[in-house]
Amino acid sequence: MAYKPQYYPGNTSIGANRRKHMSGDLEKLRDISDADIVAIMGHRAPGADYPSTHPPLAEMGEPDCPVRQLVTPTPGAAAGDRIRYSQFTDSMYNAPAIPYWRSYWGAINCRGCDPGTLSGRQIIEARERDIEEYTKVQMDSEMTDPALATMRGCTVHGHSLRLDEDGMMFDMLARTELGSDGNVYYAKDQVGIPLDKKINAGKPMSEAETAKRTTIFRCDNISFGGPCTAESRSFDEGLVALHHMWERRSKWGFRPE
Amino acid sequence: MVTKSDTEPVQIEIFPRKFLKPATAECLLGEIYRAGGLVRIMVQGPNLPKAVPYGPGKGLPVEENRDLLLKLGDQALELRVKVGRIWLELESEEYIEGVKAACERTLPFPFDIKRKRLFHTKPTVSDYAKYGSKVEDERILGLVDPKGKKERDLAMLSDSRGD
Repeated sequence: MAYKPQYYPGNTSIGANRRKHMSGDLEKLRDISDADIVAIMGHRAPGADYPSTHPPLAEMGEPDCPVRQLVTPTPGAAAGDRIRYSQFTDSMYNAPAIPYWRSYWGAINCRGCDPGTLSGRQIIEARERDIEEYTKVQMDSEMTDPALATMRGCTVHGHSLRLDEDGMMFDMLARTELGSDGNVYYAKDQVGIPLDKKINAGKPMSEAETAKRTTIFRCDNISFGGPCTAESRSFDEGLVALHHMWERRSKWGFRPE
Repeated sequence: MVTKSDTEPVQIEIFPRKFLKPATAECLLGEIYRAGGLVRIMVQGPNLPKAVPYGPGKGLPVEENRDLLLKLGDQALELRVKVGRIWLELESEEYIEGVKAACERTLPFPFDIKRKRLFHTKPTVSDYAKYGSKVEDERILGLVDPKGKKERDLAMLSDSRGD
Protein backbone atom coordinates (compact mmCIF):
# COMPACT_ATOMS: atom_id res chain seq x y z
CA MET A 1 0.00 0.00 0.00
CA ALA A 2 1.35 3.39 -0.95
CA TYR A 3 2.19 5.62 1.98
CA LYS A 4 -0.16 8.57 2.36
CA PRO A 5 1.17 11.32 4.61
CA GLN A 6 -1.09 12.32 7.47
CA TYR A 7 -0.23 15.93 7.97
CA TYR A 8 -2.55 17.16 10.66
CA PRO A 9 -5.44 15.62 12.61
CA GLY A 10 -8.95 16.85 13.13
CA ASN A 11 -12.30 17.30 11.44
CA THR A 12 -12.55 21.07 11.67
CA SER A 13 -12.22 23.31 8.60
CA ILE A 14 -9.05 24.67 10.22
CA GLY A 15 -7.58 21.18 10.37
CA ALA A 16 -8.48 20.61 6.71
CA ASN A 17 -6.91 23.95 5.72
CA ARG A 18 -3.76 23.13 7.68
CA ARG A 19 -3.51 19.81 5.85
CA LYS A 20 -3.91 21.66 2.56
CA HIS A 21 -1.11 24.09 3.38
CA MET A 22 1.23 21.36 4.51
CA SER A 23 0.57 19.15 1.52
CA GLY A 24 1.03 22.04 -0.92
CA ASP A 25 -2.29 21.22 -2.55
CA LEU A 26 -3.27 24.88 -2.70
CA GLU A 27 -5.89 26.64 -4.74
CA LYS A 28 -4.53 29.33 -7.02
CA LEU A 29 -6.62 32.46 -6.68
CA ARG A 30 -4.72 35.11 -8.63
CA ASP A 31 -1.81 35.54 -10.97
CA ILE A 32 0.76 38.16 -10.08
CA SER A 33 3.48 38.43 -12.71
CA ASP A 34 7.05 37.29 -11.99
CA ALA A 35 8.32 40.84 -12.56
CA ASP A 36 5.88 42.22 -9.99
CA ILE A 37 6.91 39.62 -7.40
CA VAL A 38 10.57 40.50 -8.00
CA ALA A 39 9.79 44.21 -7.62
CA ILE A 40 7.94 43.70 -4.32
CA MET A 41 10.78 41.55 -2.98
CA GLY A 42 13.20 44.33 -3.89
CA HIS A 43 16.40 42.29 -4.12
CA ARG A 44 17.09 42.92 -7.80
CA ALA A 45 15.55 44.97 -10.59
CA PRO A 46 13.00 42.98 -12.61
CA GLY A 47 14.69 41.61 -15.71
CA ALA A 48 18.21 42.09 -14.35
CA ASP A 49 20.69 39.22 -14.27
CA TYR A 50 20.95 37.15 -11.13
CA PRO A 51 24.10 38.11 -9.22
CA SER A 52 26.00 35.03 -8.08
CA THR A 53 28.16 34.10 -5.14
CA HIS A 54 29.96 31.23 -6.85
CA PRO A 55 30.33 29.85 -10.38
CA PRO A 56 27.68 27.39 -11.60
CA LEU A 57 28.11 23.99 -9.97
CA ALA A 58 28.70 22.35 -13.36
CA GLU A 59 31.82 24.50 -13.83
CA MET A 60 33.10 24.10 -10.29
CA GLY A 61 34.08 20.46 -10.42
CA GLU A 62 32.43 19.15 -7.29
CA PRO A 63 34.14 16.56 -5.08
CA ASP A 64 33.17 12.92 -5.36
CA CYS A 65 30.37 12.77 -2.80
CA PRO A 66 27.51 10.23 -2.68
CA VAL A 67 25.08 12.77 -1.24
CA ARG A 68 25.80 15.26 -4.01
CA GLN A 69 25.21 12.48 -6.51
CA LEU A 70 21.89 11.64 -4.91
CA VAL A 71 20.52 15.15 -4.50
CA THR A 72 19.82 17.22 -7.59
CA PRO A 73 20.66 20.86 -6.87
CA THR A 74 17.85 23.41 -7.11
CA PRO A 75 18.05 25.78 -10.12
CA GLY A 76 19.31 28.58 -7.85
CA ALA A 77 22.00 26.42 -6.27
CA ALA A 78 23.08 25.06 -9.66
CA ALA A 79 23.50 28.60 -10.98
CA GLY A 80 25.30 29.87 -7.85
CA ASP A 81 22.68 32.48 -6.88
CA ARG A 82 22.80 34.59 -3.75
CA ILE A 83 20.67 33.66 -0.75
CA ARG A 84 17.70 36.02 -0.53
CA TYR A 85 14.50 36.12 1.49
CA SER A 86 10.84 36.97 1.53
CA GLN A 87 8.98 37.59 4.73
CA PHE A 88 5.26 37.72 5.38
CA THR A 89 3.13 39.10 8.18
CA ASP A 90 -0.26 37.48 8.69
CA SER A 91 -3.02 39.12 10.64
CA MET A 92 -4.55 37.26 13.57
CA TYR A 93 -7.96 38.31 12.21
CA ASN A 94 -8.40 35.10 10.21
CA ALA A 95 -5.51 35.48 7.80
CA PRO A 96 -5.32 32.35 5.63
CA ALA A 97 -1.80 31.39 6.75
CA ILE A 98 0.12 31.75 9.97
CA PRO A 99 3.89 31.64 10.54
CA TYR A 100 3.97 27.98 11.58
CA TRP A 101 2.01 26.85 8.57
CA ARG A 102 4.04 28.94 6.13
CA SER A 103 7.08 27.20 7.64
CA TYR A 104 5.52 23.74 7.39
CA TRP A 105 4.59 24.51 3.79
CA GLY A 106 8.15 25.68 3.05
CA ALA A 107 9.90 22.83 4.84
CA ILE A 108 7.75 20.15 3.22
CA ASN A 109 7.27 21.55 -0.28
CA CYS A 110 10.21 23.83 -1.09
CA ARG A 111 13.63 22.37 -1.71
CA GLY A 112 16.71 24.17 -0.45
CA CYS A 113 14.89 26.69 1.71
CA ASP A 114 15.35 27.82 5.29
CA PRO A 115 12.06 28.82 6.92
CA GLY A 116 12.20 30.99 10.02
CA THR A 117 9.16 31.11 12.28
CA LEU A 118 8.50 34.05 14.53
CA SER A 119 5.42 35.12 16.44
CA GLY A 120 4.27 37.80 14.03
CA ARG A 121 6.17 37.15 10.83
CA GLN A 122 7.63 34.32 8.84
CA ILE A 123 10.70 34.44 6.68
CA ILE A 124 11.90 31.97 4.05
CA GLU A 125 15.45 32.16 2.78
CA ALA A 126 16.65 30.38 -0.33
CA ARG A 127 18.68 30.89 -3.49
CA GLU A 128 17.37 33.91 -5.36
CA ARG A 129 15.58 32.27 -8.27
CA ASP A 130 14.19 29.60 -5.93
CA ILE A 131 12.81 32.07 -3.40
CA GLU A 132 11.18 34.05 -6.20
CA GLU A 133 9.36 30.91 -7.30
CA TYR A 134 8.33 30.04 -3.73
CA THR A 135 7.16 33.59 -3.07
CA LYS A 136 5.02 33.57 -6.19
CA VAL A 137 3.28 30.42 -5.01
CA GLN A 138 2.52 32.06 -1.69
CA MET A 139 1.26 35.31 -3.24
CA ASP A 140 -0.85 33.63 -5.91
CA SER A 141 -2.46 30.94 -3.80
CA GLU A 142 -4.98 30.80 -1.01
CA MET A 143 -2.12 31.15 1.49
CA THR A 144 -2.37 34.90 1.04
CA ASP A 145 -5.21 37.36 1.36
CA PRO A 146 -3.71 40.68 0.22
CA ALA A 147 -5.58 42.63 2.92
CA LEU A 148 -4.59 40.36 5.81
CA ALA A 149 -1.13 39.20 4.71
CA THR A 150 1.59 41.50 3.49
CA MET A 151 5.17 40.94 2.41
CA ARG A 152 7.13 42.87 5.01
CA GLY A 153 10.89 42.62 5.18
CA CYS A 154 11.16 45.00 8.12
CA THR A 155 8.89 46.99 10.44
CA VAL A 156 6.43 44.13 10.48
CA HIS A 157 4.26 45.40 13.35
CA GLY A 158 0.57 44.80 12.78
CA HIS A 159 -0.28 41.10 12.95
CA SER A 160 -1.90 41.28 16.38
CA LEU A 161 -3.51 44.70 15.99
CA ARG A 162 -7.06 45.53 15.09
CA LEU A 163 -7.70 46.05 11.40
CA ASP A 164 -8.05 49.44 9.78
CA GLU A 165 -11.47 50.82 8.92
CA ASP A 166 -11.17 49.49 5.37
CA GLY A 167 -10.31 45.98 6.59
CA MET A 168 -6.57 46.21 5.89
CA MET A 169 -3.97 45.05 8.39
CA PHE A 170 -2.18 47.98 10.05
CA ASP A 171 1.13 48.85 8.43
CA MET A 172 3.09 51.77 9.76
CA LEU A 173 5.02 52.06 6.48
CA ALA A 174 1.85 52.00 4.35
CA ARG A 175 3.25 49.45 1.91
CA THR A 176 -0.17 48.38 0.70
CA GLU A 177 -3.33 50.33 0.08
CA LEU A 178 -6.89 49.54 -0.90
CA GLY A 179 -7.55 51.04 -4.32
CA SER A 180 -10.83 52.61 -5.37
CA ASP A 181 -11.41 49.59 -7.64
CA GLY A 182 -11.45 47.27 -4.62
CA ASN A 183 -8.01 45.78 -5.29
CA VAL A 184 -5.07 45.90 -2.90
CA TYR A 185 -1.99 47.60 -4.32
CA TYR A 186 1.61 47.43 -3.21
CA ALA A 187 2.96 51.00 -3.34
CA LYS A 188 6.28 50.03 -1.74
CA ASP A 189 8.52 46.99 -1.71
CA GLN A 190 8.84 44.75 1.32
CA VAL A 191 11.28 47.08 3.09
CA GLY A 192 9.29 50.28 2.46
CA ILE A 193 11.10 51.65 -0.61
CA PRO A 194 8.54 53.19 -3.03
CA LEU A 195 7.93 51.21 -6.23
CA ASP A 196 8.02 52.79 -9.70
CA LYS A 197 4.41 51.75 -10.23
CA LYS A 198 1.77 50.34 -7.94
CA ILE A 199 1.37 46.59 -8.14
CA ASN A 200 -2.05 44.99 -8.06
CA ALA A 201 -2.09 42.15 -5.51
CA GLY A 202 -5.71 41.20 -6.11
CA LYS A 203 -8.99 41.62 -4.31
CA PRO A 204 -9.24 41.03 -0.58
CA MET A 205 -11.34 38.10 0.57
CA SER A 206 -14.68 38.69 2.24
CA GLU A 207 -15.01 38.04 5.96
CA ALA A 208 -16.92 34.82 5.27
CA GLU A 209 -14.20 33.71 2.87
CA THR A 210 -11.36 34.37 5.34
CA ALA A 211 -13.28 32.54 8.07
CA LYS A 212 -13.56 29.58 5.70
CA ARG A 213 -9.94 29.58 4.50
CA THR A 214 -8.07 30.47 7.68
CA THR A 215 -5.65 28.17 9.50
CA ILE A 216 -6.17 30.06 12.77
CA PHE A 217 -8.27 28.62 15.56
CA ARG A 218 -10.29 31.43 17.08
CA CYS A 219 -13.11 31.23 19.59
CA ASP A 220 -15.18 33.59 17.39
CA ASN A 221 -14.76 31.27 14.40
CA ILE A 222 -13.71 27.64 14.94
CA SER A 223 -12.25 26.94 18.36
CA PHE A 224 -9.36 24.57 19.00
CA GLY A 225 -11.54 21.82 20.43
CA GLY A 226 -13.98 22.09 17.54
CA PRO A 227 -17.65 23.02 17.87
CA CYS A 228 -18.94 22.03 21.28
CA THR A 229 -22.73 21.68 21.21
CA ALA A 230 -25.33 19.62 23.04
CA GLU A 231 -24.89 16.94 20.38
CA SER A 232 -21.12 17.07 20.22
CA ARG A 233 -19.46 17.18 23.63
CA SER A 234 -16.11 15.68 22.69
CA PHE A 235 -13.04 17.60 21.61
CA ASP A 236 -11.80 17.61 18.06
CA GLU A 237 -9.00 15.17 17.27
CA GLY A 238 -6.62 18.10 16.75
CA LEU A 239 -6.81 19.01 20.42
CA VAL A 240 -6.76 15.39 21.56
CA ALA A 241 -3.57 14.81 19.55
CA LEU A 242 -2.00 17.91 21.05
CA HIS A 243 -2.85 16.74 24.59
CA HIS A 244 -1.37 13.36 23.73
CA MET A 245 1.89 14.95 22.54
CA TRP A 246 2.20 17.11 25.64
CA GLU A 247 1.50 14.19 27.92
CA ARG A 248 4.11 12.01 26.22
CA ARG A 249 6.80 14.67 26.13
CA SER A 250 6.18 15.51 29.79
CA LYS A 251 6.43 11.86 30.83
CA TRP A 252 9.44 11.32 28.61
CA GLY A 253 11.17 14.30 30.20
CA PHE A 254 10.48 13.02 33.73
CA ARG A 255 13.67 11.53 35.13
CA PRO A 256 13.37 11.03 38.91
CA GLU A 257 16.93 9.87 39.71
CA MET B 1 -8.08 70.04 28.85
CA VAL B 2 -11.09 72.30 29.05
CA THR B 3 -12.72 73.12 32.34
CA LYS B 4 -12.52 72.84 36.07
CA SER B 5 -15.57 71.59 37.85
CA ASP B 6 -16.90 71.01 41.36
CA THR B 7 -18.65 67.75 40.43
CA GLU B 8 -17.01 64.33 40.65
CA PRO B 9 -15.24 63.63 37.34
CA VAL B 10 -15.55 60.26 35.61
CA GLN B 11 -13.08 58.57 33.29
CA ILE B 12 -14.10 56.43 30.34
CA GLU B 13 -12.34 54.56 27.59
CA ILE B 14 -13.66 54.35 24.03
CA PHE B 15 -12.34 51.23 22.35
CA PRO B 16 -13.44 50.94 18.70
CA ARG B 17 -13.38 47.53 17.02
CA LYS B 18 -11.17 48.95 14.25
CA PHE B 19 -8.47 51.58 13.97
CA LEU B 20 -9.80 55.01 13.05
CA LYS B 21 -8.78 56.95 10.00
CA PRO B 22 -7.61 60.48 10.84
CA ALA B 23 -10.84 61.94 9.39
CA THR B 24 -13.03 59.62 11.47
CA ALA B 25 -11.00 60.33 14.60
CA GLU B 26 -11.31 64.07 14.05
CA CYS B 27 -15.03 63.79 13.43
CA LEU B 28 -15.53 61.68 16.58
CA LEU B 29 -13.46 63.95 18.80
CA GLY B 30 -15.26 66.99 17.40
CA GLU B 31 -18.62 65.46 18.30
CA ILE B 32 -17.39 64.57 21.79
CA TYR B 33 -16.04 68.08 22.26
CA ARG B 34 -19.34 69.63 21.21
CA ALA B 35 -21.24 67.33 23.59
CA GLY B 36 -19.46 69.16 26.43
CA GLY B 37 -18.26 68.20 29.88
CA LEU B 38 -14.71 67.44 28.80
CA VAL B 39 -11.84 67.70 31.24
CA ARG B 40 -9.16 65.68 29.48
CA ILE B 41 -8.74 63.70 26.26
CA MET B 42 -5.98 61.30 25.36
CA VAL B 43 -5.70 59.43 22.06
CA GLN B 44 -3.55 56.32 21.86
CA GLY B 45 -2.53 53.88 19.16
CA PRO B 46 0.43 52.46 17.27
CA ASN B 47 3.08 54.90 16.11
CA LEU B 48 3.04 56.30 12.57
CA PRO B 49 6.70 57.01 11.82
CA LYS B 50 7.62 59.88 9.55
CA ALA B 51 10.51 57.89 8.07
CA VAL B 52 11.36 54.21 7.61
CA PRO B 53 12.98 53.26 10.94
CA TYR B 54 14.84 50.07 9.99
CA GLY B 55 16.28 48.16 7.06
CA PRO B 56 17.67 49.09 3.66
CA GLY B 57 15.13 51.90 3.29
CA LYS B 58 16.01 53.49 6.64
CA GLY B 59 15.45 57.23 6.60
CA LEU B 60 13.18 57.32 3.55
CA PRO B 61 10.13 59.49 4.22
CA VAL B 62 6.77 57.79 4.76
CA GLU B 63 4.65 60.38 2.98
CA GLU B 64 1.36 58.80 4.08
CA ASN B 65 2.20 59.58 7.72
CA ARG B 66 3.18 63.19 7.20
CA ASP B 67 1.00 66.25 7.67
CA LEU B 68 -1.71 64.39 9.54
CA LEU B 69 -3.48 67.04 11.55
CA LEU B 70 -6.08 66.55 14.24
CA LYS B 71 -8.15 69.70 14.49
CA LEU B 72 -10.22 70.06 17.60
CA GLY B 73 -11.89 73.26 18.77
CA ASP B 74 -9.45 76.10 18.34
CA GLN B 75 -6.40 73.83 18.32
CA ALA B 76 -4.64 71.57 15.85
CA LEU B 77 -2.30 68.77 16.87
CA GLU B 78 -0.02 66.75 14.68
CA LEU B 79 -1.42 63.21 14.67
CA ARG B 80 1.45 60.81 15.26
CA VAL B 81 -0.50 57.62 16.01
CA LYS B 82 -3.20 55.53 14.40
CA VAL B 83 -6.11 56.21 16.72
CA GLY B 84 -7.17 52.99 18.41
CA ARG B 85 -8.19 54.04 21.89
CA ILE B 86 -9.53 57.26 23.40
CA TRP B 87 -9.43 58.08 27.09
CA LEU B 88 -11.74 60.77 28.35
CA GLU B 89 -12.22 62.49 31.65
CA LEU B 90 -15.66 64.04 31.91
CA GLU B 91 -16.95 66.51 34.45
CA SER B 92 -19.63 64.13 35.65
CA GLU B 93 -21.48 60.96 34.86
CA GLU B 94 -24.27 62.75 33.03
CA TYR B 95 -22.02 63.42 30.03
CA ILE B 96 -21.39 59.73 29.30
CA GLU B 97 -24.61 59.39 27.32
CA GLY B 98 -23.54 62.29 25.08
CA VAL B 99 -20.24 60.55 24.35
CA LYS B 100 -22.03 57.32 23.59
CA ALA B 101 -24.37 59.10 21.20
CA ALA B 102 -21.41 60.80 19.51
CA CYS B 103 -19.75 57.39 19.00
CA GLU B 104 -22.93 55.90 17.58
CA ARG B 105 -23.27 58.78 15.13
CA THR B 106 -19.65 58.69 14.01
CA LEU B 107 -18.36 55.12 14.12
CA PRO B 108 -19.63 52.76 11.43
CA PHE B 109 -18.51 49.68 13.40
CA PRO B 110 -18.92 48.38 16.97
CA PHE B 111 -17.14 49.98 19.90
CA ASP B 112 -16.87 49.50 23.66
CA ILE B 113 -17.15 52.19 26.27
CA LYS B 114 -15.83 51.30 29.68
CA ARG B 115 -15.79 53.37 32.80
CA LYS B 116 -12.65 52.92 34.85
CA ARG B 117 -9.71 54.66 36.48
CA LEU B 118 -7.43 55.59 33.59
CA PHE B 119 -5.17 58.53 34.40
CA HIS B 120 -2.77 58.22 37.28
CA THR B 121 -3.29 60.59 40.16
CA LYS B 122 0.18 60.85 41.66
CA PRO B 123 3.33 61.89 39.78
CA THR B 124 5.44 58.92 38.72
CA VAL B 125 9.23 58.84 38.44
CA SER B 126 8.83 59.70 34.74
CA ASP B 127 6.69 62.68 35.69
CA TYR B 128 9.30 63.76 38.20
CA ALA B 129 11.99 63.57 35.52
CA LYS B 130 9.75 65.45 33.11
CA TYR B 131 8.12 68.13 35.20
CA GLY B 132 10.24 68.33 38.37
CA SER B 133 9.06 68.00 41.97
CA LYS B 134 6.09 70.31 41.55
CA VAL B 135 3.52 69.75 38.84
CA GLU B 136 1.76 73.02 38.06
CA ASP B 137 -1.47 71.48 36.83
CA GLU B 138 -2.13 67.91 37.95
CA ARG B 139 -4.51 67.33 35.05
CA ILE B 140 -1.42 66.96 32.90
CA LEU B 141 -0.52 63.67 34.64
CA GLY B 142 -0.94 60.68 32.36
CA LEU B 143 -1.61 62.74 29.25
CA VAL B 144 1.79 62.66 27.61
CA ASP B 145 3.95 59.64 26.93
CA PRO B 146 7.15 59.58 29.06
CA LYS B 147 9.22 60.12 25.92
CA GLY B 148 6.70 62.54 24.35
CA LYS B 149 7.16 66.28 24.20
CA LYS B 150 4.61 68.34 26.06
CA GLU B 151 4.83 71.23 23.60
CA ARG B 152 4.25 68.94 20.64
CA ASP B 153 1.76 66.40 21.98
CA LEU B 154 -0.44 68.44 24.29
CA ALA B 155 -2.99 71.12 23.48
CA MET B 156 -5.12 73.25 25.78
CA LEU B 157 -8.62 73.69 24.42
CA SER B 158 -10.86 76.62 25.13
CA ASP B 159 -14.24 76.15 26.76
CA SER B 160 -16.17 77.55 23.81
CA ARG B 161 -16.83 74.06 22.29
CA GLY B 162 -16.41 75.52 18.84
CA ASP B 163 -19.69 77.50 19.11
